[in-house]
Amino acid sequence: MISLSDIPARPSAWITPPMIALALLLLAAPDLLPAIGLYQYLGIEIAIWIGFALGFNLLFGYTGLHSFGHGAYLGIGAYAFGLFQHHVAVSLWGGLFAAVLAAGIAGALVGAFLSHRRGIYYALLTIGFGQIFWFLAMKLHRVTGGEDGLLGIPRPPLTLGPWQVALTDNRALFYFAAALLMIMVVLCWRLANSPFGRVLQAIRQNETRARFVGYEVWRFKWAVFTLSAMLAGLAGSLLAMAQQSAYPDVMSLHQSGLVVMMVLVGGGLVSFWGPVLGVVFYFVARDVLGGLTETWLFWYGLIFMAMVMLRPEGLAGMLHGLLRRGSRHQPSSARAPATEAA
Amino acid sequence: MIDLLPHIINGLTLGLLFALIALGFTLIVGVMEVINLAHGSLFAIGAYFALTVIAGSWFAGTPFGAWWLSLPLGLRYVLALAIGPALAGLAGMLLELCLRPTYGKPPLYGLLLTFGAALVIEELIRLIWGTGEQNLALPQAINGAFLLNGMIFSTYRFFAAGFSIAAIIAVWLFLERTSAGAVIKAGAHDSEMVRALGYDLARLRLVVFGFGAALAGLAGVVMVPIWGLRPHVGVDIVIPAFLIIVIGGVGSFWGAVIAALLVGLAIGITGAYAAAWSTMSMYLLLIAILGFRSRGLLGRKSALEH
Repeated sequence: MISLSDIPARPSAWITPPMIALALLLLAAPDLLPAIGLYQYLGIEIAIWIGFALGFNLLFGYTGLHSFGHGAYLGIGAYAFGLFQHHVAVSLWGGLFAAVLAAGIAGALVGAFLSHRRGIYYALLTIGFGQIFWFLAMKLHRVTGGEDGLLGIPRPPLTLGPWQVALTDNRALFYFAAALLMIMVVLCWRLANSPFGRVLQAIRQNETRARFVGYEVWRFKWAVFTLSAMLAGLAGSLLAMAQQSAYPDVMSLHQSGLVVMMVLVGGGLVSFWGPVLGVVFYFVARDVLGGLTETWLFWYGLIFMAMVMLRPEGLAGMLHGLLRRGSRHQPSSARAPATEAA
Repeated sequence: MIDLLPHIINGLTLGLLFALIALGFTLIVGVMEVINLAHGSLFAIGAYFALTVIAGSWFAGTPFGAWWLSLPLGLRYVLALAIGPALAGLAGMLLELCLRPTYGKPPLYGLLLTFGAALVIEELIRLIWGTGEQNLALPQAINGAFLLNGMIFSTYRFFAAGFSIAAIIAVWLFLERTSAGAVIKAGAHDSEMVRALGYDLARLRLVVFGFGAALAGLAGVVMVPIWGLRPHVGVDIVIPAFLIIVIGGVGSFWGAVIAALLVGLAIGITGAYAAAWSTMSMYLLLIAILGFRSRGLLGRKSALEH
């Protein structure tokens, strides 16, 4: 099996060809989606989930920390955005800031508790904490609206100095979400390929060794958890705007598991771009399979199981394999299996 | 002052049922080093098949169906108690076959695969049995209520608790007093050595998974009259089950039993004061206990930490 370090990256570059391709696709999406029989709102959903999944993959794919409760931070971001609009001021930047801050604080607290744990215990505790947040969202009726959700969240206009653009239209909101997404992509890319990102990958490969080399491993684990919670919070605030409401069910184990599935199917374990492929595949599968059969989740689940059994490197890994077969002049040493700690 | 006694009794019976689910879970974790997130779904499979056996709904309208329904409810219930877990065990064995490619890889893959399986089983249940909430018909003998010290208790809870105690003791005797149990325990301790001694490890894993799944199915049949039956029940139950094995210490038999009783008590007693928050108490218990003992009450170091 290949690993993240086998897919060549150009760590020095701020902007890479796949990023340009993604940006162009995003630019064209509002016209492209209706042309192939889908709808515009789907674009917003995809952009939001890509942002969420990319942040999540810093933790999951790069650091090898398996969080099964990450939907919680998406939900916290959505609620924080909505509550800010309702109780403080109707402001876009304020809301985004509140969402990132709230998710960051929650992530920092949980991360402090988690970061000394490893392996399966880490995963199990993330489920525990995720459930606590979900439960709070369900039960704190007066704050969150409980199961009915927090309704009537406005889409405040975008103000940049003297400029003001309304985001009430889905197209405008999509472009705003896409712009934020591109910023997140560049940020995650730089981070993953910075010295910080190298340490994260070292922790995945062998945590004990990373500690013996002299890194304070738990601080890195804490930092990356907090960071990915903040990115989830940002995605959550966009979700609140898109739905004009916030519901507890994004925080459930089911939804937290979905992001894990998307990232894995896409190939987040082997590629920076895995989460992007995975999210697009999930939403297209949902709409295409969902149009054919009501039990599409059954088929998606089967695809996922087959993937884990046969091709855990996901779509990105398969694509990489195809490309490599195409260009035979690559030195064979690049194919040496990475020494992953089991 | 609230009278706590009924809540404590309810909590303990709930805890005993949790223990039954957690035992299968911890057995599988111990031998296979797989966290089986589909364990709750096997619980649901057992319960749904029991429902079909009792109601005979698949043969409704045929002579066989009519004959079946003419059998006494008690007999059908006993049959359900046998057939439900047996089919859950078979489903578990099927799942184990799917898990084989993940052996030797990090435990994450087993976790992911069983998560996918949980999703698939839940959708299958929706397909076969529909999405609504259903309930098991119970024989008259165990489906009543009685008065004790001026308080009403449901007979079924006591039946379920007694049944769980018997099952827990039977599992313990099986593990401690039979040679098959010894092999399973040895497999949990050092599976390489078991293979070196000439036991068929693949078959051992298949059997253990089937056995653990059957325990889950058994718990399903017994617990459903208390919890109700809906397609989502698998996910609802797997969370307490895994909390229990983490609190008790992964792979520990008595750890799981003690933790299950603690969780049941926590839920029961919180229920007395703030019913809406009773589920929350088990998460707080988890965090409190793991804050002090990172491997749970009786846990040892295991391969799952890497």
